[in-house]
Amino acid sequence: MALAASQLAELRALLGDFGVLSSEAALFTYEADALTMERRPPDVVVLPRSTDEVCALVRWAASQGLPVTPRGAGTGLAGGATTEQGGLSLSLNRMDQVLRVDDSRLFAWVQPGLVNLWLSQQLAGQRLYFAPDPASQQVSTIGGNVATNAGGPHCLKYGVTFNHVLGVVVVLADGSSVTLGGEALDSPGMDLLSVVCGSEGTCAIITEICVRLLPVPEGVKTLLFDFDSVEAACRTVSRVIASGIVPAAMEIMDRHTTKLVEEWLHIGLPTDAAAVLLIEVDGPAVTLEPQAERIAGIARDQGTRSTRIAKDADERMQLWKGRKSAFGAYGRAASGFTIMDGVVPRTRLAEALANVYAFASEKGLEAGNVFHAGDGNLHPHVLFDASSAQQHADALEVSHRILRMCIDYGGTISGEHGVGIEKRPMMSELFAPDDLATMERVRAAFDPDRRLNPGKILPGGSGCGEARQHSFEAMRGFAANANAEGPWI
Amino acid sequence: MDLTAPAEPRATDASRFAMSGTSPRLAWRPENVAELADAVRQAAAQKLAVVPWGGGVALSREHAPVRFDVALDVTALKRITVYDPDDYTITAECGLTMDELRTALAAHSHELPLEAAESWGATLGGVLAANASGPRRRALGSPRDRILGARFVLGDGTLARTGGRVVKNVAGHAVHRLLVGSRGTLGVLVEASLKLLPQPTGRVAWAWATDAASLADARRWSAWPRREPAVLTVIGRAIAAKHPVLASEAPFAVVAGFEEDPAWLAACDTFAHETLGAPRLTVRDASVPTLWQQLTDFEEMPGARLTFTSSHVTPDAIAFLAGRPIAERLVFHAACGRLHVWPEANEVTELSRELQARGFALTASRGTGTVPPEPLASIALLRKRLSEALDPASVWALGRVGI
Repeated sequence: MALAASQLAELRALLGDFGVLSSEAALFTYEADALTMERRPPDVVVLPRSTDEVCALVRWAASQGLPVTPRGAGTGLAGGATTEQGGLSLSLNRMDQVLRVDDSRLFAWVQPGLVNLWLSQQLAGQRLYFAPDPASQQVSTIGGNVATNAGGPHCLKYGVTFNHVLGVVVVLADGSSVTLGGEALDSPGMDLLSVVCGSEGTCAIITEICVRLLPVPEGVKTLLFDFDSVEAACRTVSRVIASGIVPAAMEIMDRHTTKLVEEWLHIGLPTDAAAVLLIEVDGPAVTLEPQAERIAGIARDQGTRSTRIAKDADERMQLWKGRKSAFGAYGRAASGFTIMDGVVPRTRLAEALANVYAFASEKGLEAGNVFHAGDGNLHPHVLFDASSAQQHADALEVSHRILRMCIDYGGTISGEHGVGIEKRPMMSELFAPDDLATMERVRAAFDPDRRLNPGKILPGGSGCGEARQHSFEAMRGFAANANAEGPWI
Repeated sequence: MDLTAPAEPRATDASRFAMSGTSPRLAWRPENVAELADAVRQAAAQKLAVVPWGGGVALSREHAPVRFDVALDVTALKRITVYDPDDYTITAECGLTMDELRTALAAHSHELPLEAAESWGATLGGVLAANASGPRRRALGSPRDRILGARFVLGDGTLARTGGRVVKNVAGHAVHRLLVGSRGTLGVLVEASLKLLPQPTGRVAWAWATDAASLADARRWSAWPRREPAVLTVIGRAIAAKHPVLASEAPFAVVAGFEEDPAWLAACDTFAHETLGAPRLTVRDASVPTLWQQLTDFEEMPGARLTFTSSHVTPDAIAFLAGRPIAERLVFHAACGRLHVWPEANEVTELSRELQARGFALTASRGTGTVPPEPLASIALLRKRLSEALDPASVWALGRVGI
């Protein structure tokens, strides 16, 4: 619903002319995040520059009865930044500064609109970095990473975003701002920070963040193995973990994915292999060779066809580019696809993957896999012809079956993308009504009027004991764009 | 006989659950999760004030709440429900002690990534509820970093679960993490899933006797944080005197150590010698965990105690205390910025004020002359709303005092 001229004038008085976007073209730009099948334009886009301005905006929205949906770079894959109920799309992109770095106590205060990779780039001279590295890190913002508790390939060793956040300044639903946590590893009192992280903007709007910094590892070694079966690659992952080695990352791409990536990038990936396994170890230089040898030995035991070790930083970057470009490669291959973010216990990876292929095959569809194998975090893609309603429906059914399997195996429906709109219907398959009602109680304690990113994460009415839903209808899938490099997984 | 009526909670000897000498009127020891949830419902219906009770290691020494009707003993909940060693995760009931867990994990060369004083009695639930940690806090992460999910009982008897048991999970609000560190004021944890670690392939620890000038010399310590030691701890003379090996005439003992690949430990050894000189004690491999436990146990020394947190990462941060009586009675886990001091009653106020001014925030207190940390006024309303949401009948006795 378009805002009245008087309302826009009030917003411009708060933010200046450049801080308020209300043209049809602008609203169209902000109508979705990377879950492009789920769209609803905001009533207005606001771009504050400070915590005070965010406070003023939240108070103003409350006075008008409008919801507020915070937004970072819009790379989210679950619809978390989509203004599903209209209202304000509150973009934090103009709050993109590093506020303070303490290179002896190893923390930094940053604004939420700072792009993830920019922080590490700015810290390179001090030999420090910010560990969370979602594949979108060249675009996604740290505020968005915190709001979704983003993961990334290297969270196998270093943990997810939450593990690297010491404190935040947030704006609450009443327009007040508070600091949760601080600069110390631990903070006095109830740990409200821990529940705000990953709450997808439903509890508070994050306006400043104190992050942990880590020393850049002395060395890094990147290895690529290829196998005649996906199962052998998965077994290698399980055996490496079981051997007590904690690699920085372990990523698998199946033949389907490798072929598409190689056709696109020409980086020398073995397209005839059933799976390639990318393993990276980092740390003190003297520890790397022995670890690499042990890992290579395990891979040989599982029948690896060959071992490739990146000889320099350029080759390493090339291998990682192959891994991180998988999503774009799918976009080149089919007019539509679904992507999942399920997690299974690591020891069940091989059978989970076998099921993914079987489920897709039963419907005559192709499935590809590229995933964070070390964490058991699967990203199966089911490709379909977007012009076929039947194929689309079949792909959604396969996707639902895959996530149902993740639940049955003791896993979960989202390892790092978040629930947003996309996985909301499946929350009542993963959790019991009392679990969801408990989450709703906590969410309501932060935002009694459901003004902040309303409707996200929890299925409708979960707080009122609504019956369990069994639906995958809200899962949508992606319209492919052959020219797009992202989204990222 | 009405078979639908709830059974009476299983009673046990209430005198075993005293907090600083104050015993509850009742003590219940449910044998399973369903009984525990039922007991909480009955307490809510009778408007009783309940303290969840694990090993009682810390609670028995802490301030009793204004009302303390029931101690809810969770120590009968002792099952390891899911443990697949190759997954490096475990799901266990919260009445298990740290030693019991550690023993189960050691059989598979796994490291328990939690630390607690008096690990023979400290329970998983107690450690999580207190967000307790020890000298290896920075290296291991805190309990909130390690917990993957939990089942818990709220103040109205609702049994709920959030999170899960896989190592990566962002589905839903992380209420389990909110309960970590909430000290039994929002609910009682009954089962938790943890992310485990392999036991390190090598360990080394050293100890030095250090004078005030050496402690204050920032250059000696400046390279340590980036080396990421597992432990870097300063111990005052009177506390060190309780230890068979660390005791000396020097004002401070310093203990440091690394847990790494043996190939790297040799370089760490050189680094430690170059920066701090020859140690008076070196401990390696299997003997090291005993020393870590002893360092952790220091925090349960008798007497009034204040615990502070800070962003300081090097020992010189507390050098200003050298020469004062309180310097004898402190333990500073510099790697994670945590300071424990055991002040005389007349030292509490001024010491708290001074430490606060130097970036140390009070997180816990116990004993004569101390007062609980003040909840931050800015988040008082949020705390109140969360308490009302999760504990509508005000069942949890400790929720009625500052945490």
